[in-house]
Amino acid sequence: MAKKKNKNVIRPWCWYCEREFEDEKVLMQHQKAKHFKCNMCPRRLNTAGGLAVHIQQVHKLEPENLPRIENALPMRDGYEIEIFGMEGIPAPDIADYKRRKEIELGLSAGSISAPQPKRPKVENKPIPEEELRNLLEQHKKLMGGSADAASSSSQAVYGAAPQSYMQPPMPAPGMPPPGFPMMPPPGMPPFPGFPGAPPPGLFPFPPPPGGMPPPGMLPPGMSPPPGGMPPPPGMMPPPGMMPPGGFPPPGGMMPPPGLSPVNMPPSGPPPRPVPSFVPAVTAQGGAQPPSESFVASGSEQSSQPMRPTLPHPSKIQSNPEGEEGNGSDPNFSVEEKRAYHPKYFVPRPLPPSDSAGPRGTKRARAEDFL
Amino acid sequence: MADPNNTVLPSPPFDTISCIKYSPTDPDKLLVSSWDTSVRFYHAGEPNSKPSEQLAKFEHRAAILTCCFSDSSHGFSGGLDATIRHLEIGTEKMVTVGSHTDAVSGMVYSDESNALVSGSWDCSLRLWDPRASTPQQSVTTTPERVYCLDMTNHNIVVAMASRLFNIYDIRNMATPAQQRESSLKYMTRSLACMSDGQGYATASVEGRIAVEYFDPSPTAQAKKYAFKCHRHTMDDVDQVYPVNALAFHPVYNTFASAGSDATVSIWDHVVKKRLRQYPKFGNPVGALAFNCDGTRLAVGVGYNWDLGEKGMHEKPGTEICIRRLGDEVKPKNWSG
Repeated sequence: MAKKKNKNVIRPWCWYCEREFEDEKVLMQHQKAKHFKCNMCPRRLNTAGGLAVHIQQVHKLEPENLPRIENALPMRDGYEIEIFGMEGIPAPDIADYKRRKEIELGLSAGSISAPQPKRPKVENKPIPEEELRNLLEQHKKLMGGSADAASSSSQAVYGAAPQSYMQPPMPAPGMPPPGFPMMPPPGMPPFPGFPGAPPPGLFPFPPPPGGMPPPGMLPPGMSPPPGGMPPPPGMMPPPGMMPPGGFPPPGGMMPPPGLSPVNMPPSGPPPRPVPSFVPAVTAQGGAQPPSESFVASGSEQSSQPMRPTLPHPSKIQSNPEGEEGNGSDPNFSVEEKRAYHPKYFVPRPLPPSDSAGPRGTKRARAEDFL
Repeated sequence: MADPNNTVLPSPPFDTISCIKYSPTDPDKLLVSSWDTSVRFYHAGEPNSKPSEQLAKFEHRAAILTCCFSDSSHGFSGGLDATIRHLEIGTEKMVTVGSHTDAVSGMVYSDESNALVSGSWDCSLRLWDPRASTPQQSVTTTPERVYCLDMTNHNIVVAMASRLFNIYDIRNMATPAQQRESSLKYMTRSLACMSDGQGYATASVEGRIAVEYFDPSPTAQAKKYAFKCHRHTMDDVDQVYPVNALAFHPVYNTFASAGSDATVSIWDHVVKKRLRQYPKFGNPVGALAFNCDGTRLAVGVGYNWDLGEKGMHEKPGTEICIRRLGDEVKPKNWSG
């Protein structure tokens, strides 16, 4: 791709060190790596504020002892200003930078345009019907006649709730009639030939029960959840539905070419498997047959839940305000958090919850330990 | 070791010590459970008589959070794998008694009822009798995750998450005899019952200890109090440390407290005075136990995850110190 050589357009630049970047994504990567990296652990945060909270909560440093932001220009190494890429830069600094750039490039004052507008995020948009239809076409061609069999067998395997529009009722090629009866309303990206795909709202990183804990509670190595991680629009099977043991999904489950990897942001953290019965239950209203729950528990053993959850979210605690304290977590003991560290983690049934679904499963799991 | 009153046990656990319990009858025998998945049984002796040694070791499949004796040759263990095991110390045999559905965080054995009481993060207390055909005698659902429990006479005090406390009578586990909220504002970190059965002490993650009494009458309740401890002023900033362990002296009813500031203090809760602060240990102190005749204090020293994984590599090493006690644990006006 050709570089943008338009001199009159200012390129994204880093407020902390005044370096220029090709685009804002690279800039954000740079900021994460150079300025928002914790010098006490490998964690990289998205913003200065996030870093400050991380250092205070995880490393227990008093706010006044926070290290200055690394690799920053003098006077720009503080935490007061929240910078995220090009967002948050104080207007005077933008103006100042522009003027200096103009002088440097020998341009007249005011000839440089404002920073590039943010690139539209294509990934998040619902895919237009047209395109979807084409993709389905492609997919069908790719899968050939086996699509039918595969999808029906996969339905049996995954035991998903029957959803009529999922099953292609007619032979593969050249099918979609005008009107396309299986098409759900626009704005709700479906995935053709993917039985049991939960509604997009739940997908594929459901909020953990009890809300998102503050960054300090995340075990090391776990990146902060969503924020900069746009969920792919309904294209990846939720982790809980992956067959255990790393089997490749059956043919019918393959995402159409050109769809699956695109959805993951290149720099984003890999999808973290969540305790799988959570999505499974919420997504399917507890209507899963026993085989499903077996799959769920199997994959739970290989993937571990990364943090403790509150059994009684209503009893959530907060430390008293305005007192010195020592930044300790009011809801989980150090032992509870330590128990989720990979070194110590052992799969165990989660504490009883009000959802009636996995009760029987839990009993079975408890007996596994005997 | 410079201090003649301090001895260090050989072959300590490799990871944080979670619990130390002394034998109910032998003043020189103790069980130590650890995050390294072991429960070890030691003889703590004098250098010039029978030297200290590790006599037995039980390896588990997950970190062990708690252990206790049932008699001088049997014990129990419980930990992250939610399972209660009966330990036969002479033969090093382990028998699974039963299991919770989440990590077992605390246990005590009642001689009177011949039952083990275990508490767990699965929000339950369970009573066990390993000799019965169905060992699990009862399940009591608690309002929150159980963090610590201790027992005196027939009162079982249970400290839970969300700063809740329940007091049960072991003869009636169905309903709590008393329900209380912590008088401390921060998460409960440790708990110990008085030797005279009148009350208990609890401590929070925020360097504070509360002394409470069972008697619900207003006069008895008026006596309860709390105080700050395990704090250090560094550069005009008050550093506050968690109080990880408490233990009452079996004879004098004074108590010891241990903190992440690596110190151990002895307190007389009647006159509200500190009797002694021992010299700093090399690492945070996470576990304490007096022996049955009150002549020794076992101190479990080692990093205990206050700073997560990272702190682990800063100052590694765990040790079990046995401190010979003198008059410092005796109240000033002790008349016997």
